[in-house]
Amino acid sequence: MSIPINIINSLYILMPGWYTVAKWELIRSGMKFSRRSIIAVLFTLLLLSGVSYAVSLTGMNLDQKIYSVVTSSSELDSIIDSDDRFDVLPADSMDADITIVEDRAYISGTKKSIAAADALEKVFINYRETVLSSYNDVNNSHPVWITIHDLERPESFQVFGSATKKDDQLSDIENEKLEGSEENKRTSTAGKHTSTIISPEELDELENSNSKTLFERQTIATPSNFTPPIPFTAILYSFLFIFPIYFVSQFYSSSIMEERTNRRCELLLVAPLRSRDIVLGKSMPYILFAMLLLFIISLYIERPSDIQELRTSLAMIAVIFPVLLLFFSLSFIAAIFSRSFKELTFAMVFFSVIVSGYVFFPAMFANVHTVSSISPMTLIVNLIEKGNISFGKYIFSTLPFYLVALSIYGFGTAIFREEDLFSQKTIPEKIMDCMEIYLSSPLGSVFALSIVSIPFVYMAQLMLIVMLFNLPLPYSVITMIILSAFVEEIAKSIGIYTIMKRRLKPLNLKNAGTLALLAGGGFFFGEKLVSVITLAPIASSAFGSVMTMGTLLLIPLLLHVTTTMVTSLGVYFTGHRSYVFFLLLATAMHTIYNIYMLRGLLFG
Amino acid sequence: MAETKVYPKKIMSIARREYKGLLLEKTFVLSVLVQLFIASFSAFLVVGLTSFYDPMALQGMQMKESKIGVIGDTEGELFKLMKISDLEPVKYTDFREAYTDFYDRKIDAIINIPNETADGNDLINLDIYLPSSELKATIVSLQLKKPLEKFEQSVRSVRTMRLDGYTPLDIQIIRGNKGSSSSKLEFVYVALLPLLMFTPAFISGGLVIDMITEEFERKTLEMLLVSPVSLLDVVGGKTLVATAIAPVQSLAWMLLLGLNGIQISNFTEILLVVTMISLTLVTAGSMIAVLCKERGTAQLFYSLVLILLFMSSYLYTNSPLNLVSRLALDSIRGMEAFAWTAGYMFLALLLLWMLTILVKKDHMKV
Repeated sequence: MSIPINIINSLYILMPGWYTVAKWELIRSGMKFSRRSIIAVLFTLLLLSGVSYAVSLTGMNLDQKIYSVVTSSSELDSIIDSDDRFDVLPADSMDADITIVEDRAYISGTKKSIAAADALEKVFINYRETVLSSYNDVNNSHPVWITIHDLERPESFQVFGSATKKDDQLSDIENEKLEGSEENKRTSTAGKHTSTIISPEELDELENSNSKTLFERQTIATPSNFTPPIPFTAILYSFLFIFPIYFVSQFYSSSIMEERTNRRCELLLVAPLRSRDIVLGKSMPYILFAMLLLFIISLYIERPSDIQELRTSLAMIAVIFPVLLLFFSLSFIAAIFSRSFKELTFAMVFFSVIVSGYVFFPAMFANVHTVSSISPMTLIVNLIEKGNISFGKYIFSTLPFYLVALSIYGFGTAIFREEDLFSQKTIPEKIMDCMEIYLSSPLGSVFALSIVSIPFVYMAQLMLIVMLFNLPLPYSVITMIILSAFVEEIAKSIGIYTIMKRRLKPLNLKNAGTLALLAGGGFFFGEKLVSVITLAPIASSAFGSVMTMGTLLLIPLLLHVTTTMVTSLGVYFTGHRSYVFFLLLATAMHTIYNIYMLRGLLFG
Repeated sequence: MAETKVYPKKIMSIARREYKGLLLEKTFVLSVLVQLFIASFSAFLVVGLTSFYDPMALQGMQMKESKIGVIGDTEGELFKLMKISDLEPVKYTDFREAYTDFYDRKIDAIINIPNETADGNDLINLDIYLPSSELKATIVSLQLKKPLEKFEQSVRSVRTMRLDGYTPLDIQIIRGNKGSSSSKLEFVYVALLPLLMFTPAFISGGLVIDMITEEFERKTLEMLLVSPVSLLDVVGGKTLVATAIAPVQSLAWMLLLGLNGIQISNFTEILLVVTMISLTLVTAGSMIAVLCKERGTAQLFYSLVLILLFMSSYLYTNSPLNLVSRLALDSIRGMEAFAWTAGYMFLALLLLWMLTILVKKDHMKV
């Protein structure tokens, strides 16, 4: 009998616990805004909407008057003046970028004047199109028209093999084509009738095509008005998702930091609440609010009209959720680690840049290269374009986000206690605190710690791929090998370092050896687990092979244990101050091994 | 009354304290790291952002000739124009055949040219099939644009004769043998440079809010005010440090851009404008911080004001962002630049004066 009652009791305590904290948090954040500041914010928002409306009318330019031009006729002056970029100087001025005499335009020869010449050419083309559009005779003024059609074909690198639908598609297109040609025949037999197909209104629309939004694509145009499709448009959409996360996480971290500085959080810690409840309660309102914003945005993007499209916008939320979780967990840990608001601001900027880099840059390669699939944003791109994604892809790109976010929350909650929140401990000290708490918990051991560190290592290495993508190929792979070895060595030895420095276990040779064995073995185990589950998709590229390398099982295990042994024994014999030296030594060994294994790829 | 006067010495001592704090907490190191991180992406950014800015910019990149399948009229003028352009047209007899090759990635686009000549009366409708959602689609369209425009002009040269009183504007641009790089130049000077110049100023405004609200929230201000410094000294010192670090970073950016072969004219004047704007933003930040006294609200309000200012700089010529572009390109005459810089200086000083009044009033309350 007593057990169920216990469960009910703990449930009862658990639920209201975080719920109460969440309620406090809501009330508190509401009280922060006095009536005066609400009015001020609303007023600014009003001004902002007014200004953005005015800006949208002027057409978003910062390039006013960057080129100068001198002409000899006032008619030309007024044509050129219609473009903001030109500063039409009085006829007697010297050193203009472009001087027009009669029907010839001379450039001054500088780089700027070449750019000015390009711009001038466009001005003249625009003028020509405007004049021609004023004639109500499309067949003679705009004789050539282009119609753009989209054709599907498989990506050059397939991530997850899907059955080819080539023939289906072909027949679809054939049908469309047949209809099209019938239509063509009809129009051509109708003879003169063609001119009514393009009405003057459509021509007006053509005139305005420049003011079209980025996202609308042209499907019909004349060659002069034809603008190529802008690449990466879907990424612009993804920016819409990231902005609310930035904003809300700012408030979130600020709120935690504030309670630390004014020590109001102490009351919460004294209250009969578990730190888990406090963290959950403080995070929930912000997470829910951000989710609400994201939901509204996904509705705005997808504008669902049926159940299928509603599912797509829900899928977008599901894709963006792990990103949100990671962002929030980083804000949370930054707010706990920082010692001042300044530090928090910089840490937040730093994390934002890193995460957005990780999230956006691979997405630029959506549909081009398989590496893009490591970013959830690629999934958003796919959702916007195709309307669905496979579950495998979802797991592949979001699982690391979930794991890292949850472990960060775990570590953060562990040190959510007075001695870490209200002291001026350095960041390494706080990290060691996390490790210490984890290692002394019943489930904690260096073996498990190595496994837990795998998602972190994995994300760090993927981040490296993204960053090193710019470098020319042999250098990027070599740098990648060195840095990823370094990251792995840190992950394996940090637990051992903590144990030795904090004296969690008696220091003797046997312990030092066992710990190295366990940490190296744990890492090996976790690594193999990951490579089996997720790395298959990018294993085919050169970067992938750096990470999955080695189908031989015994040698990598030996390697991981040996390099960890180097650090462990080194620290044991010479003390924890020489940790960095032995860490670098282990990294060097690891690198040499990796380069040897990849020699074919590098030098062959 | 002691607190109504300004003591430069005290301001300086506060400033020194804040400066040391910045270095001690290694926040500055972190900020430099962030900027370096951004710089490491810059190659990526330039390509990526330029193509957002203007897809035609991709044209400058070395691209191999795309193969394009042609069906319909493969003897006409357009086919010849495509042949001498960056494209490699391949003849097909029907769509199915072309599509099979398209699917196998042997060609990247298909175009259908109707049998209609320039002398005729009907519209010439070209159907172009592009690979959906691929970068290749953009590249092919870029390479197609030129021959298509030439084709349009050649058809027009026949047909516009039939229009009443139409005389084409015919001005030849004499280029010599210089290449073209318009979008890249415009992107660098109009988007990248101003953004890099003012980012440190944006950050400084946020930084000063952190510095001031922290004193309010930690309740350390009361202790400071017990010592012989006034609130004005404290706020003044913080404002000074936050303002001073912005132009230093901007200078570093300019030197870096210079190393990358981007010529920047009027170095000192740009720095002056940047300093004035950072003073304006930092003073505004200080005012917001003193008014709100609480970080979250102050930061929100500051970012809203920042967006507002940023947006309004699109509205007029010689806005700070535009002024920096024009100065860097040497497209502005001395007097005009001077007048506008003086204007911004006046604005900054006006705000500074308002800040002192505000702080004095606030000090009475404390």
